[in-house]
Amino acid sequence: MATVRAPSISDRFVALLDRERVIDHPLERRLYARDGSIAEGDCGLVVLPETTEEVVACVRLAAELDLAVVPRGSGTGLCGGAVPLRGGLVVSVARMTRVLEIDPEVPCARVEPGVLNLDLSNAVRHLGLHYAPDPSSQQACSIGGNVATNAGGPHCLASGVTAQHVLGMEIVLGDGEVLRLGGTAPDPPGYDLRGFVVGGEGTLGIVTEVTVRLMRNPPEVRTMLLDFPSVRAAGEAVGGIISGGVIPAAMEMMDRLMTRAVEQFVHADLPVDAAAVLLVEVDGTPAEVAAHTAVVEGVGHAHGAGRVRVARDEGERALFWKARKSAFGAVARVAPNYYLHDCVVPRTRLVEVLEQIERIAAARDLIVMNVFHAGDGNLHPLIAFDRRDAEQVERVHAAGKDIIEACVAVGGVLSGEHGIGLEKRDFMPLTFDAVSLDAQARARDAFDPGGRLNPEKVLPLGSRCGELVLDAGSLPPGTWL
Amino acid sequence: MTEALSPATPQEAAAALAEASEARASVGVVGGGTRSRRGRPAPPPDRLLRTGGMRRVVAHEPADLTVTVESGLAATVLAELAASAGQAWPQADIREGSTVGGVLAAAASGRRRLRMGAVRDSLLEVVIATGDGRLATGGGRTVKGVAGYDLPRLAVGSLGTLGVIVQVTLKLWPVPAASGWFGAEAPLADRLGVAARALAGPARPASVLLAPGAVAVELIGPEEDVRPPEGLEALPGAPPEPAGRGLLEAGVPPPRLGELAARLEEGGLVYEARMGVGTCLVAVETADDVARARAVALGLGGHAQVVDGPDDLRADPWGPAPPGLELMRRLRDAFDPAGILNRDKLLWEVS
Repeated sequence: MATVRAPSISDRFVALLDRERVIDHPLERRLYARDGSIAEGDCGLVVLPETTEEVVACVRLAAELDLAVVPRGSGTGLCGGAVPLRGGLVVSVARMTRVLEIDPEVPCARVEPGVLNLDLSNAVRHLGLHYAPDPSSQQACSIGGNVATNAGGPHCLASGVTAQHVLGMEIVLGDGEVLRLGGTAPDPPGYDLRGFVVGGEGTLGIVTEVTVRLMRNPPEVRTMLLDFPSVRAAGEAVGGIISGGVIPAAMEMMDRLMTRAVEQFVHADLPVDAAAVLLVEVDGTPAEVAAHTAVVEGVGHAHGAGRVRVARDEGERALFWKARKSAFGAVARVAPNYYLHDCVVPRTRLVEVLEQIERIAAARDLIVMNVFHAGDGNLHPLIAFDRRDAEQVERVHAAGKDIIEACVAVGGVLSGEHGIGLEKRDFMPLTFDAVSLDAQARARDAFDPGGRLNPEKVLPLGSRCGELVLDAGSLPPGTWL
Repeated sequence: MTEALSPATPQEAAAALAEASEARASVGVVGGGTRSRRGRPAPPPDRLLRTGGMRRVVAHEPADLTVTVESGLAATVLAELAASAGQAWPQADIREGSTVGGVLAAAASGRRRLRMGAVRDSLLEVVIATGDGRLATGGGRTVKGVAGYDLPRLAVGSLGTLGVIVQVTLKLWPVPAASGWFGAEAPLADRLGVAARALAGPARPASVLLAPGAVAVELIGPEEDVRPPEGLEALPGAPPEPAGRGLLEAGVPPPRLGELAARLEEGGLVYEARMGVGTCLVAVETADDVARARAVALGLGGHAQVVDGPDDLRADPWGPAPPGLELMRRLRDAFDPAGILNRDKLLWEVS
């Protein structure tokens, strides 16, 4: 496909929008060549449409000019999904930030895709409602990006990931067609296109409006911190709580290194000497909270938890969650860069995989820290490193590959909530055979027959049956992954 | 004469479909046959594939809350298996004779959807034998995962038109400590009041059902929470579902269900509105009943499909086509290029 460097192309987009919403300064383009991952691509031009009509116009012009289109929300994604390659056109929805409608009766909200996740929950708090998916990046990530990645978060353990909370959407396809899929009336006839688009990583269309389900705040919430003498004990307690018939609202684990880094950052009086800390939240009616708390405490003590610290009030609860959600920022105290992984393993294999990750890091002489969604087996091993050290970077990638393979070997999946993007694209054959990759490619091509939307993401080259592969797996020169 | 296909394994199912595609023979797909009277009336297919021979339990990991089974397994057998570990598949509408694959292909969500979600949210991994006889896997066996395109969501509700669901991994849930049905008989305005109070909590009911003359609430949770709400009495069990010559399933924005119920009652139709969810089952006797009930649903911003009934009730089983019909056709062609599978079941030739 063409690249967009020629000034005449930029002028064509300026004619559609206006000068300040078309970005072609080289320095700014470099910003848009990255996202929250460590991947760096090549951005040709950035456009900032504010309406569906403008998105359609940009997509149509891109088709006329034979440009690849890379949709972008806040750019906080962690798998390179929003990273443009080969000078593609970035269509940012960051200016589409209106909350169009809040309907407390459904309850639901209809929003533009650039609305930030936390802003949405803040906008409905006075109604006693909230939006359930709560990624750690929720202060910065957009609802549109959440839809693209099928984002999760700690509270998805009981409430489910984004796909369970998107009722309907408006989407612009690669040829500029606009479709309204789903809505508040459940189960319309035909295939669940709405459900399929969630997690499509911007390869199926550009979502220009989303109707999300809101949830009523539970009448009572109890948030507990449990400290354990070993990671194994904490992992076994997680299994014990679930086996005890309790699916907590959230169940997060932090290892000692991470707890210490976080404590320096938030001063929450965390148990820094514990080998592992569990943050468990239960909610519901007073009777439900009491029953679930009893199970959590009982199982915790049976597995050696020293004490169960219950958040005394909303302030302390917020502090516990701040500790959890600022974990990634706290890593800056350990090393300048980090590589955050995102695999899911069967809960029953959690401990064994954590121990293996420890060995992998040690063998490569790397620091690995863990903070993750223990309740659903969603691991987030984080490798701290210094990007300036090329040899270390190589070890980081090698360790990452080992970790992914270790997770897959016990029946795990490549991503729990971050997505595939560029980062894990070439790992897809680890979990899907050729026929399955071809089936995914066929479904994608049905949405985007022109192959214009976010090309080269999610599916490795050669996924399509009979696709000619001259240089399998290669990324364009200059791409830094 | 319809030829019977009874594969015992997913591989046999795929081979049978590859051969049928080659021969351009139309194929009907049947699980337990409890939801097969849907779609447009059509002559018998050249071949009828029954999934009942594929009924192995591939893996059951109680501590992971997952189970992997072949699609022809009876849903009641799966329920017993789950119950033996104190677990359940609470999103599913399980009928006597239903298969696991059939429940999913029909996207048949049960009465606990209000609290537990839709059945499409319970499918973690799917293996389908596509129309051209290839075994494709989508999703993953862990309770959470976003790797690759969500073929499971495409398969649920596809009524066997993309391929035959041959194996699935489901997410199970712990069985609640207690559960109970509570109900009252009252005029519509009072019933709507009961429903609104039940939905407002503090307990999150599993189900709030409105029917002509009656309202019923199912509560689940600790014993202390399973007590009659004010004005309701304990019922001996779940209320009966509406039954007629046929069944229509309407979907409207949840706040409009009260209006839907009022209009159906005015028209003398028997229904079960699932309050807070937005779905409503309507018993229909005649094509005129279908048309009347559908007109009300459409007027409220919804839709209505005939989900069961004899041929004369299914002349127009779907109503107006939803947005994206062309895209749906491209998807079907991608998975069933010869167009052999269940051609009458989903809205392909809507006028």
